[in-house]
Parts: sequence; C-alpha cells; structure tokens
Amino acid sequence: MSAEPQPIAPASRGSLARSLSFPTRTDDATSPERSMSPMLRALPKLRQRQKGLIAGIIAVLAVALTIVLAVNIHVANSQYTVVELQNEYRVLSQSNQALTEEVQHLESPQALSSAAVGLGMVMPAEAGALDLADGEVTGAAEPADSGDRPSSFVAAPPAPGGDAAAPLNVSETVTGAPSGILGGGALNTLIEAPSGQNEDQTSAGTQDQFSPTELNGGTIPAPSFD
Amino acid sequence: MAAAQKKRAERVLSFRMRIGLTMILVMLLLLGGRLFHVQGLDPAGHAQAAVSERLRSVPLPAHRGDILDAEGRVLATSVDRYDIVADQQVVDDFVRLDETTGLREEVPVQTGIAELSEIVDLDTEELTDLIIGDSRYSVVTRSLTPEQSQQVLDLEIPGLYAEPVSERSYPSGSVAGSIIGFMGADGPLEGIEAAQDEALSGSDGERIFEVGGDGVRIPIATFEELPAEDGQDVRLTIDQDLQWFAQEAIAKKANQYNAAWGNATVVDMSSGEILAMADSETVDPASPGETEELFRRPLALTQDFEPGSTGKAITFAMALEEGTLNPTDGFTVDNRYEVDGQTISDATRHPTLDMTAAGIFARSYNTGTVMIGGEIPEETRYDYMRRVGLGEPLNIGLGTEANSVLRPPEEWDARQHLTTQFGQGYTTSVLHNLQAFQTMTNGGVDVPLRLVDAYIDADGTEHPVESEPGERIFSEETSEEMLRMFEGVVDYGTGTEAAVSGYRVGGKSGIAEAAGASGGFDGHTQSFIGMAPLEDPKYLVAVTVHRPQGYWRDWEVTDTFREIMSYVLSSYDEAPTGAESEAYDGFEGENQDQPW
Repeated sequence: MSAEPQPIAPASRGSLARSLSFPTRTDDATSPERSMSPMLRALPKLRQRQKGLIAGIIAVLAVALTIVLAVNIHVANSQYTVVELQNEYRVLSQSNQALTEEVQHLESPQALSSAAVGLGMVMPAEAGALDLADGEVTGAAEPADSGDRPSSFVAAPPAPGGDAAAPLNVSETVTGAPSGILGGGALNTLIEAPSGQNEDQTSAGTQDQFSPTELNGGTIPAPSFD
Repeated sequence: MAAAQKKRAERVLSFRMRIGLTMILVMLLLLGGRLFHVQGLDPAGHAQAAVSERLRSVPLPAHRGDILDAEGRVLATSVDRYDIVADQQVVDDFVRLDETTGLREEVPVQTGIAELSEIVDLDTEELTDLIIGDSRYSVVTRSLTPEQSQQVLDLEIPGLYAEPVSERSYPSGSVAGSIIGFMGADGPLEGIEAAQDEALSGSDGERIFEVGGDGVRIPIATFEELPAEDGQDVRLTIDQDLQWFAQEAIAKKANQYNAAWGNATVVDMSSGEILAMADSETVDPASPGETEELFRRPLALTQDFEPGSTGKAITFAMALEEGTLNPTDGFTVDNRYEVDGQTISDATRHPTLDMTAAGIFARSYNTGTVMIGGEIPEETRYDYMRRVGLGEPLNIGLGTEANSVLRPPEEWDARQHLTTQFGQGYTTSVLHNLQAFQTMTNGGVDVPLRLVDAYIDADGTEHPVESEPGERIFSEETSEEMLRMFEGVVDYGTGTEAAVSGYRVGGKSGIAEAAGASGGFDGHTQSFIGMAPLEDPKYLVAVTVHRPQGYWRDWEVTDTFREIMSYVLSSYDEAPTGAESEAYDGFEGENQDQPW
C-alpha cells in the first residue's frame, strides 16, 4: 500500500463490474480512460435517437394505414357515386330521348299537317309573285278554297309511348278509396298537416266556391291528394 | 402426495398437448399438401381458373346510326325500350309501402295485375296467363318506353323484371317507308336499313373486369374497355316534307282511278339526287307485315312496264342529235301510216295535218314518230337507247336494282323496230325513265341518280357522296331543242294540264298497255314526266299510274304532276319568272289551232 494510491475505487476490484472512472483534474490530458468517456456518454444519446425512430415508424405506419383506409373509403364511396351518376345519366338520357322522340313526332309531316288543319288552315291556291324591283305581279293569285283540306292518305305515326294508358286519374282513386275515418283520405289529413296556404283558402273561401262534384253530395269537399 | 399429484397433472397436460400438437401437425400437413398441390402442381392452371372465375366480359353494343333526310330530319333512329319479363316462380302476393298512408300493406297479386293492365296494353286475363305459372322466363310485354317500364317496376310486383333492348323508331311513320326499309328480328331486311347496314351498324365493343364473390367489381383489378364504334348516320337525298306531299298526291290519284299502284318521283336535275320517291301506298317500317308485299319496296325500282309515249322523246332526241331532223321540219300526218307492211295508227282519228316535228311530239302521234325514227338505222337507235340506260339494271344504292328489258335488234319481231320508237316493245322502270329524261334535258349529260347524300360519323364528321361525273350523250344544242319540244307538249299538246302558272314547264305524257300475267295486255300504264323551270331546268317529276280503272281518255295524271311541281318550285324558292313560252309552232302555216 506504499505505492501511489490508485484513483480507482477498491469497490471494483475482484468483480466483473467495469471499473468506474472518475476523471480527475490532474491527469485528464494523459489518462488512458479519457478516450472511453465519450463512448459512455453516447449511449444515452443513442437510446434517445432509437425512441424517435420507433415513434417515427409508428407514425409512418399510422399515416400509411390512414392513407390506405382513406383511399379505400374514397374508392368505395366513388363506386357508389359512379353508380349514382350512371343512374342519373341513364334517367336523364332517357328523358332526353323521350322528349326528342316527341319533337320528332311533332315534326313529322303528318303531325304538322293535322296541326295545321286544326288551326283552320287549308291548301294554298294559285300563288302570285310580286317582283320588288319593278312591282310586277307574276302569276294569277287566287284565294284559297276554305274547303280544300290536305288529304291524309299517309297514316300518321303513333305518338311515342302512345300505347301507355292515360295517366292515373287521381279523382278515381279517391272515389274508390274507403271514406270516413278509416279511409286513405282521412289518414292523409292526419299525416300531412294542412299547410298555411290551405288555411288561407278555407278562411277566405265560402262554400259556394266548391263545385258539386267536389262536394259529392256533402257540405265540404272530400280531402284530396294534391 | 402433493408431488405425485403434480406429476400426474403434468403428464395429463403433456398428453393433451401431444394430442393438440398432433392435430396441429395433421392440419399443417393437410394445408401444406394442399399448398403443394396448388402451387407445385399446375399453379398456372389454378391461377388461370381463379382469374377466369373472377373475370366478367360485358359486350358494349354499338349505337346504330340514324337515317336522316336531306335536311337532317330523323327518318329512323334507335331508342331504348324495355321488355317486361316474369319469373313466374317468384310471383306472389306481396307487401309494399303505401305512399299516401305511409303504411306497409299486403297486396294480392291479382291487384298488382289489375294495376299492371292499366299501364300495358293487355287485359287482366291475358296478363294472368303470362304472369301466373311455373315458367322461370315469360315475356309479358315488349318494347315499353323507359317511362312505362319504370311505372311497371314501381308496382313492386315480385318476379317482374325489365330487360333493356334497343329498338328502331321511325318518327315519320310510313313517310319514305319503302326507301328506309325495315328491320326483322335478326337484322335489317329491306331498304337503306339493309343496303347501308355496314355503315349504320358500326362495331360492338367489350368491357372486361374482375368481380368478387358477391359479384361486385373489384375496383383495383383488371379493367379493360374496348369502346364500341358507333355506326354512321346515313343522310339521304330525300326531302321528308316533299316525300310526304308526293305520297299524298299520288295516293289521291291512285285512289281516284282505283289503280293497282301509283308512283311520283322527284329528281334534282344537275346532281341526280332523288328528292322524293313516293308510292301510292307505303310500308310503315315499324310494322311492315301490315302492308301488301308489293308496297314494301320502292315501286320506282321494282316495277318495270312499257313506258309508252314518253319513250318517243328518245327517238326525237336521237334524230336531232344525228342531224336527220330539225324541230320545225314539216310532215304530213294522217292517223294511219303503212310502213314495211305494218300499219301504225294514232290514238285519235284526227284529220290529215301539216305538222312540224315539234307538233308531232306535242300531240304524241305514233305515225309521225315512225316517219322520223325510220330515218335512223335500227342499230343506231338501239345504241342510243342503251346509252340513256335502257336495257340494263340501274342501281341507286338501295340493294335492289331497277330492271329494264330491251332486246337487241336481231331479236326484234317484225313490228318491234317500229314500236320501240314510240315506247313499246321494251320495259323501263320509273327510274330508267327519269334517267333518260335527265340525260336529254340536263344539257345532254347523264348524271347517275342516287339516294345517299352523305355518311356522318358519330363525332359529326361528314363524308359526302360526290356526284359521279356525268357522261355526255347528247349535245347541248339537242338538249336545248328538246326542252322547247317538251314545252310544246304543255303549251298545246297532250299535257296542257301540267302547266304551272308563272313558270315555263315542259314534259311528255305517256300511255301504254300493261302486259298481263298470262300474256297479252290487260291494263294500262299512264304517266307524265316533266321538268321546270325550262330557262334552267332544275327539277324532274315523274308521275306514273299503273292499271287505272275506267276509260283511258278520262285518265289524267298531269294534275298530280302540276301539284307536285308547284310544291317543288315554291318550297325550293324558285321565283316565278312569267317568261314567255319558247315552244316551236306545232303546225305549218298560221293556224295553230287544229282539230285533234
């Protein structure tokens, strides 16, 4: 023990534990332990970095998952939108087609001819022509014969969708429905509260304004569906 | 004791674990075996089978092109229709929401059928037969409009489905029906629908995609779409309004004389475009079966007949062209004329008259015509007739060709070299007559008649069909002279009724006997072909009536011609000029008013 006392604590002796180093002021430039000290310090730093990485990976995973989920939801939603839009397109193009058909039908010569007859038009007689340059009349104009209707040998085409039955007559349905408290009309009144406009009408109107068919033998008209 | 118990418990546990382990191993082996089977043996085949199990291919039908008239008005188009089909095994009483009450109500199937009968054109008994039963597929009704089909579906009768079909619609009904043609169950049958099918039909496309087990498309899997190539629209030279007017006019005429058929055809002179081709009765393309077979195709094409006196025009034109005749050359014309042992007589017993060639033409005397035609050798005459199109089929792009029968001179009988000069002994169709007349009056140039104006792609690009360059057959001079001769017919000849006030109109009437089915003649064909305005001929109108009933001198088709020609001139903005007639004198000397 006469030797220069070691700066190392005796506690480390004879055990597997690493010797602790206590940097001293005296030999901090020459001591071999000096190079080991940054390694020991780097360890907690490294641990800190790993924590960030894991958090980062989790975050990336979460974001990726969210994105995938969002994309999937979007794709699924888009499918519905596509179907919806396709249906809308079909309905619109079909109603467009129906209207076009109607126009084409009305444009057909037969339809034009019968519409003209309906307006009281007749076939033209001999026409005269007035030359604007010299004021001369060519041809002997005659008045049209009021009885000279265009012939109709060429059968008129059937109206588009002409086979369809007349639109459902609401009043018939009402007549057929059971009356009284059990009737559809009564239920209708219960379900749909009378609107303000309706009230105005009732308050302003007198019974004289109802036609006999509306009254149908009663004193107030039966509730209607419209 | 405690130790022994623990030991036994351990042994039991380990025994159970072993069983479990064995089971897991067996399962693993099974799965491994299966995996090996699938992946090791024929993996491609299984993958293929899996893909084809998922793959669905849906045809994308091409839209059939429209048929349009010259102004772009639709004559034929394709529309969406629905067939209502019942799966009778599913049909039953049902429950549906009553919209007015907001309650769910039980509906007996008979009530549903009663409601259905209000929408479709069938009574409840017929519907019951079609809907109640055991069949899995029963067509209840065909070609409902989308609106009607929606009404049917709104009834919510179970087992009733709407199948979409594409159907042809003809908005103007039987206007130009025989030209448009019609479709059968398996495709086009007649007319433009059949002749232009290639352009109209386009080519179908295909859509390929993968579906999951529930039949829903897998969004990110294979998706291929081969787009359909829509058919082209075919624009005709036909004017729908004029066509209708002509159909009315000729139907009136055919009806008046109770004729077998009548035809009125209008042609644009310089382009050869057929503006109208009207028959006395026309097929409605939507229901072709309801019309007699004769009227399902254009009569101007399918019917050939002896033209009669309209054929004299060719004889006069060739005599002028050959230089053997001047319109004002004088002839002494009796009502009978003996030549080569044959007697030619005129329709009326007129006195002997000193006439010009133009007068002979105007009054349509056979005797005078034979004097003029006799100057020209048979072969030359035959050659001219062939050059104006007689004796060969005429095609206007409608599938059917128009026929004309003209035998060569070697095969003519003793009288035929005379009769062919005045329109007998050979047959022509209306279109042949028009083609010949067009050649004579269109400055002598033969422009082929045609019916298709343009093909229009789905994107609107037009491919116009150009008029073929015409072939000169007569000189301009001959054509000019012929026009003045035609004017004489309307001025003082057989066609005075054809005159349209304010315009210079020319033409030629014709009447010939119609050959019967069993040989010999048993009827007549009356016709008039005319053109206007003569200063610059633009329109040709031919009116033909076949087998009119009654006495031949009473028949008159020139009034129908005038009706149609006035309509053509006014609707195509041809201003009346009121110009003086330039017809040649018909008779020699001062007196132009000679007895018939």
